[in-house]
Amino acid sequence: MKIDRRSFLGLGLGAAAGVAASPVTWKLTDDSSIWTQNWPWTPVPRDGEVSFDDTVCTLCSGNCGISIRKIDGRAVKIEGKKGYPVNDGGICLHGISGLQYLYDPSRVRFPMVKSGDNWKQASWEEAIALVATKIKELRKNGMADSLACVTGSDQGSIAGLYKRLLMAVGSQNFYTTDTMDKSWEMLIAKMHGVSAAAGFDIANSDYVLSFGTGFIEGWGSPVNNFLANSSRKERQAKFVQVEYRLSNTAAAADVWLPAKPGTETDLALGICSAMITANLYNSEFAQKAGKDFDAFAKLVNEKYAPELVSRTTGIDVSKIKNIAVEFAKAKAPLAIAGRGKGDSAGSLMEFAAVHAINCLAGNINKVGGFWTLEKQPALTWPSLEMDDAATKGYAKPPVGAMVANVSGSSGAGTSGAGISGAGIFSAVVSSVSGQTTNSVSRLFEVVNISEKSPVELLMVYNANPCFTLHNAKAVKDAVNKIPFVVSFSSYMDETSQLADVILPSHMFLEMSQDIYSGAGIAQKVTAISKSVVTPVFDTKNPGDAIIEIAKAMEGSIASSFPWKNYDACLESVTGKLWASLSEEGYVASELTPPATSVAADFSVFANFSGIPAIEGEEKSYPLTLVSVDTIRLASGVFASSPFAVKTVEDTVLLKNDTLIEINPETADKVGVCHGDYAVISTPVGEAKVRVNVFDGIMPGVVAMPEGLGHSLGAAGEVVTKDGAGMARIVGATSIITTTGGVSSKTGALENRYIGGKGINVNDLIGPVTDPVSGLDVAWGIRARISRV
Amino acid sequence: MTQDNHGKAHKFGMVIDLDKCTGCGSCMVACMSENNVPFKEDETNKKDSLTWMTVFKLTNEKKFPETDICYMPRPCMHCGGKGDHGHSPCVSVCPATATDYGYDTGIVSQIYTRCFGCRYCMGACPYHARYFNWWDPKWPDGMEEYLSPDVSPRMRGVVEKCSFCYHRYQEARDRAYYEERRDNIEEGEYQTACTQACPAGAITFGDLHNPEHQVYKLVKPDPHQCGKPRNPKAFRLLERLQTNPKVYYISEREWVRKAGDNYRKGEWGQEKQPVHDKGHK
Amino acid sequence: MDSALIPEGAKRCPFPVFATGIAVVGAVLLWGVYAMGLCWLKGLNQTNMNDYYGFAIWIWADLAVIAIGGGAFFTGLLKYVFGIDELKNIINLAVVIGFICYSSALLILAIDIGQPLRGWFIFWHANVHSMLTEVAFCLSLYFAVLTIEFIPLILENRQIDKVPFFHNLSHNMHGIMAVFAATGAFLSCFHQGSLGGVAGVLYGRPFAYREGLLVWPWTFFLFTWSAAAYGPCFTLLVAKMFEGITRKKLVKDNVIHLLAKISGWMITTYIIAKIIDTIYWAGVTAPDMGFSFMDFYSNNSFYGIWILFTEIVLCGIVPAVILTIKKYRENKKLLLVAICLGVFGVCLNRWVMVLQVMAVPVMSFDTWALYLPSWQEIATTILPVAYGIILISLAYRYLPIFPQEQELYGTK
Ligand SMILES: Nc1nc2c(c(=O)[nH]1)N[C@H]1C(S)=C(S)[C@@H](COP(=O)(O)OP(=O)(O)OC[C@H]3O[C@@H](n4cnc5c(=O)[nH]c(N)nc54)[C@H](O)[C@@H]3O)O[C@H]1N2
Ligand SMILES: Nc1nc2c(c(=O)[nH]1)N[C@H]1C(S)=C(S)[C@@H](COP(=O)(O)OP(=O)(O)OC[C@H]3O[C@@H](n4cnc5c(=O)[nH]c(N)nc54)[C@H](O)[C@@H]3O)O[C@H]1N2
Ligand code: SF4
Ligand code: SF4
Ligand code: SF4
Ligand code: SF4
Ligand code: SF4
Ligand SMILES: [Mo]
Repeated sequence: MKIDRRSFLGLGLGAAAGVAASPVTWKLTDDSSIWTQNWPWTPVPRDGEVSFDDTVCTLCSGNCGISIRKIDGRAVKIEGKKGYPVNDGGICLHGISGLQYLYDPSRVRFPMVKSGDNWKQASWEEAIALVATKIKELRKNGMADSLACVTGSDQGSIAGLYKRLLMAVGSQNFYTTDTMDKSWEMLIAKMHGVSAAAGFDIANSDYVLSFGTGFIEGWGSPVNNFLANSSRKERQAKFVQVEYRLSNTAAAADVWLPAKPGTETDLALGICSAMITANLYNSEFAQKAGKDFDAFAKLVNEKYAPELVSRTTGIDVSKIKNIAVEFAKAKAPLAIAGRGKGDSAGSLMEFAAVHAINCLAGNINKVGGFWTLEKQPALTWPSLEMDDAATKGYAKPPVGAMVANVSGSSGAGTSGAGISGAGIFSAVVSSVSGQTTNSVSRLFEVVNISEKSPVELLMVYNANPCFTLHNAKAVKDAVNKIPFVVSFSSYMDETSQLADVILPSHMFLEMSQDIYSGAGIAQKVTAISKSVVTPVFDTKNPGDAIIEIAKAMEGSIASSFPWKNYDACLESVTGKLWASLSEEGYVASELTPPATSVAADFSVFANFSGIPAIEGEEKSYPLTLVSVDTIRLASGVFASSPFAVKTVEDTVLLKNDTLIEINPETADKVGVCHGDYAVISTPVGEAKVRVNVFDGIMPGVVAMPEGLGHSLGAAGEVVTKDGAGMARIVGATSIITTTGGVSSKTGALENRYIGGKGINVNDLIGPVTDPVSGLDVAWGIRARISRV
Repeated sequence: MTQDNHGKAHKFGMVIDLDKCTGCGSCMVACMSENNVPFKEDETNKKDSLTWMTVFKLTNEKKFPETDICYMPRPCMHCGGKGDHGHSPCVSVCPATATDYGYDTGIVSQIYTRCFGCRYCMGACPYHARYFNWWDPKWPDGMEEYLSPDVSPRMRGVVEKCSFCYHRYQEARDRAYYEERRDNIEEGEYQTACTQACPAGAITFGDLHNPEHQVYKLVKPDPHQCGKPRNPKAFRLLERLQTNPKVYYISEREWVRKAGDNYRKGEWGQEKQPVHDKGHK
Repeated sequence: MDSALIPEGAKRCPFPVFATGIAVVGAVLLWGVYAMGLCWLKGLNQTNMNDYYGFAIWIWADLAVIAIGGGAFFTGLLKYVFGIDELKNIINLAVVIGFICYSSALLILAIDIGQPLRGWFIFWHANVHSMLTEVAFCLSLYFAVLTIEFIPLILENRQIDKVPFFHNLSHNMHGIMAVFAATGAFLSCFHQGSLGGVAGVLYGRPFAYREGLLVWPWTFFLFTWSAAAYGPCFTLLVAKMFEGITRKKLVKDNVIHLLAKISGWMITTYIIAKIIDTIYWAGVTAPDMGFSFMDFYSNNSFYGIWILFTEIVLCGIVPAVILTIKKYRENKKLLLVAICLGVFGVCLNRWVMVLQVMAVPVMSFDTWALYLPSWQEIATTILPVAYGIILISLAYRYLPIFPQEQELYGTK
């Protein structure tokens, strides 16, 4: 057949029509759309049987009850536990994000030993033997006391095991990070003469006067506070917030009193003065306090009369008097101190001034008032054996000892720098109730100023001092100087990056432990958490790690740790409580006033002449930088989860830049507009930031959020046992991140969802030591902003 | 096209007390966690960040110290549309029927596998409640283990939004049918993830057609005004556009209520009422 | 070299010159194709669009090419339905432009959707309430019509015409072209309108929303009208460009002036309607939603009142005056000014109805959203322009798109 042009075309058209009409076209079209619905790179979650498992969230001191929803045993969602005394079903955004912490890319997946710039995988046996050998060597050389330990809190049996190990080895160098709870405990000891924790019955108070507490920014027990705040309308309770910035708490309050930063104490005493003058105070307390009270009355009336205080604080006299009257006349008034989330300590005298208002109102240990709560139920530890080396070492004072000095309220202007001049190994100045404080800031300061580090081996558990302590850069220097650092962190955080060995802990969903509700809640809840998910990586309960280290050291140390494992230890030390704890999961104590009514000792105010000033002089630093908390950013040991970071506003973090918040007036003076870049300098450091202009902040004050500026990941490579690089295993590539102008190279185990974002405000603020309590009480620093 | 629902259609809705809301963001995260919402390394461009529930921050624009702020959580409003007939701004424009109005629930659905990504619905929604998957969803290695099978992860190129946690409704409904209660779902049986999580108890969820439910009691929707609240402290966002949202806000603060809509100079307080078509039902 | 393909008696530039020109434009085309490939493979994250700007430059380009392509349906309508025979001398050009514009619009839509492989859902799962459904149906059908209108022109190529089958086919198709033109005009009226409806039905967007007739908002009618009014301006502009580049007279003045006059009167009536619409919207529709007119034109650096002035006065009233008054219309320079303003004006109108709609805040606490397209968006927007240039150059070179060329050339 001859194919001419015509038949060719005919054939072509015919074929085309045929194909179009055949099912092939339609099938292919359909397939193409089905394919887009089944892209292999879009995950398909497995289905299965639904179950729930309860435990307690320990991401913050709130310790909410949580319920984990599982599908076929796989955890898929965390929800608040209904009926739990702390949170009754509510939950904060960090708690919900718990599962993101479980699979966080910066999790340390197995024990690791530093080798040069890189990390090498080790087995648990090797890593534990290494640490045990180091400690043994120190003891052999008579340096038992050069073993130090930093933890986030001294509550619970795991912290107890660390403390016990130190004691058995022979060292008093056990440190916890400073929090407002510590300040309150010291104050209660001084003013009420009892060893107790502070409880605030916010939910039953009809008048709360807060001095800068981030009541709904994460202070105390966050969810508990939220619930109390929400019921305010129905309870007809009033809430007054004293703060230099319109925080979310201030915005939620009925009255916002923007007192100038650092004058909260003045305001508190001014209110006391107004109450005394108007004879609106509880005379029972005053009579018991005797002439100490008269001295206090004289002090406040002469130096802190509302008229005088009005000038320093910037609050109208009438407002001060009005607050005093309202407070005194309220049925259940309550004054609270402890800035922001309460993650840092506060000046003891500031707390005393605020608490004096409570005492004047006489609402101690009453419904809706301030409570002195029995501290955590005592754990029953077996007796401890100390050999010679231990006894000798334990006799030596701790490196970071600060002896609180109550009579010598040496007044304003004392800063961290001033303290550093004091004798290095001798404890600083005299006594309060004979109580010495181990100050973690002081510890690192001493390490830095000593020629050779007095700490040979540092263990860090549930703490990240290289990020959370003031002047974090100096803390890093100190940690670098310590010859051997053992981290028990689950994450490649700032402190574990500088460690020599990491013995990675389970994260909270993977482990059991005993938990005690913290300050802020007027009820003590003791709980037991349990492992609700199978550990994802080769990690351990830190309690087990400590017991194994002790066992590896043999002798008296090993015999001081007689338990088979941590779970056995937990069961034995919780003693009588164990039965109900293991059955119910928690035990909540009812509020019962102590048998004997507490008296108030006003002698703390003898020689009072103010509180420590923040660092820096006004001339070169005309502004005040304050670190502020926001509930959407985790600012403690844990970095924020990807979910949490997602909720952060673009007026706080923009790309990798932190925004500082300033008033339009301040912006005009500096000559910057919203969104502009600027450099903020303080006596401690400087950083490039962007500007967020906001009307709700006092002119002259600069606010910077806590919780940014993390670098999470290992510098260098992580080499696994089979010789393969971790970077290859997790698919991470080495990148250069710029954090605060400093280049830090991170590679494997990297979290880029929060890591590398923004500036750590603690790099700009140095510690300020409270001469009364010995704690670091810095809340800000003087600063300057310049345009770029 | 009212479906027979044994004589009674639901109208699920939400009431948010703005005076209780603290701006904590739990609702946002609860939603992301419940609904497998993905995340990226940089989420600071809020205009391409998937947050079915988002919390706006409003200010009264006054100078220090008269400044005030208010946080306004915004899920999808599940608009009933003009006359509350189900022609929501978004549903009425979707060319492929990939988003639809549930006449038995009042819920505006989103069918990811049907959506072809034209984004017309996003232009139609004045609340920015719709989000486009500009990127493939990606979880760090291993993290996809926590994904829930109740809600399918979305593929790149489709639109997603708040579903009022529809899968929770399905579960409650299934249980009700199984227990031979037909469609009789108790108030507590179907609650959204954000409502459940809110630590401030600022969110209330329920059936606006059921006078026993809290949401009804709080706002007292007017059936002759397409559900306009009769509680003077309650309002709906952009009431004047007649989108007829099923999300209501409550605030004692006048400036907050005023910020809920647009008013020309001098109009506030004596604003023209939108002339609603006759309400649904 | 390719002289055998060139229409008889027509003079064209040497093939190497032509090939070089095509190669240069082809390079731009390839750049666009590359960007298109990126968008298809990697997704729309290649653009600068976001959740506030779900519709952006592509939709504008779509609306704009369809508006300026409106010359095809309107000229067809005038010639075939109203029997204005002189227009046969420009109808071929109008059809080619129309074909290019509509094929470009379809291409852009295929890039613009997040799931291109599911594009056919718009037909399969059609929602009859959606303006976009109407757009999709009318657009595809009208594109089919334009293809049918284009085919006889291709068949008129000197070589193809030699094949008896094609010669006859062409002849027969011409015979029934009126039916297609009428169908096309009807379809086109609808989809031009539904494109206007796309914005006009958005009752959540007070800047775009218009009341209307039955299910169609006023913008529906305004879009059809403006496309009919301004489309011929673009046809004339392309003719003028050809004349400029080839330095030859290709269309007789009487044809040009006739089309210009028709366009002028259309613009006049359109702009009156547009002014009435604007006044009603500004005075009644928007205030009912709580907006004063100036809310839409202030507080930002770009969308000032200038934009409305430019659209209505500069690009509406001015060309209307020039084109309706014989003296001005017949002044070569003024004519050129008028058709340029016309083309710019209708594109600006489409810009406003897409981009400004997205930019205007609706919630009282929302802010203006501004947007800059990414290079991928720009390249893919230029892609159809390059494609159009190539196609029209080929058409000019090998097809008799200017029937008067020979006559004019001969008498010159
Ligand atoms: N309890 C209950 N059961 C029902 C119904 C109900 O209302 N309640 N409704 C019934 C009805 S109408 C229907 S249509 C069916 C629907 O039932 P299914 O078809 O099971 O629908 P889904 O649960 O929505 O999605 C199924 C799975 O697809 C996954 N998936 C999502 N996207 C993709 C993808 O791109 N690729 C692949 N491979 N997987 C993907 C999801 O993660 C999910 O695990 O259920 C029926 N059964
Ligand atoms: N958010 C979200 N949206 C979705 C989906 C999703 O998974 N999530 N899935 C999509 C899918 S796959 C589908 S099929 C649709 C389903 O969407 P719909 O078709 O709306 O399905 P249902 O919600 O099951 O509603 C069916 C209605 O029928 C009523 N009904 C039950 N039995 C009978 C009967 O015997 N007679 C009559 N007359 N009525 C009866 C029920 O009470 C109910 O009101 O939803 C789509 N939309
Ligand atoms: S408040 Fe604290 S304890 Fe409660 S869920 Fe949040 S992080 Fe966990
Ligand atoms: S969880 Fe509740 S309090 Fe927190 S932002 Fe959402 S609605 Fe407001
Ligand atoms: S809020 Fe937006 S997405 Fe939700 S129903 Fe209304 S228009 Fe649609
Ligand atoms: S983007 Fe999807 S849901 Fe939205 S209109 Fe287009 S097809 Fe419909
Ligand atoms: S109702 Fe469900 S889907 Fe909607 S915002 Fe709340 S949690 Fe998210
Ligand atoms: Mo279905």
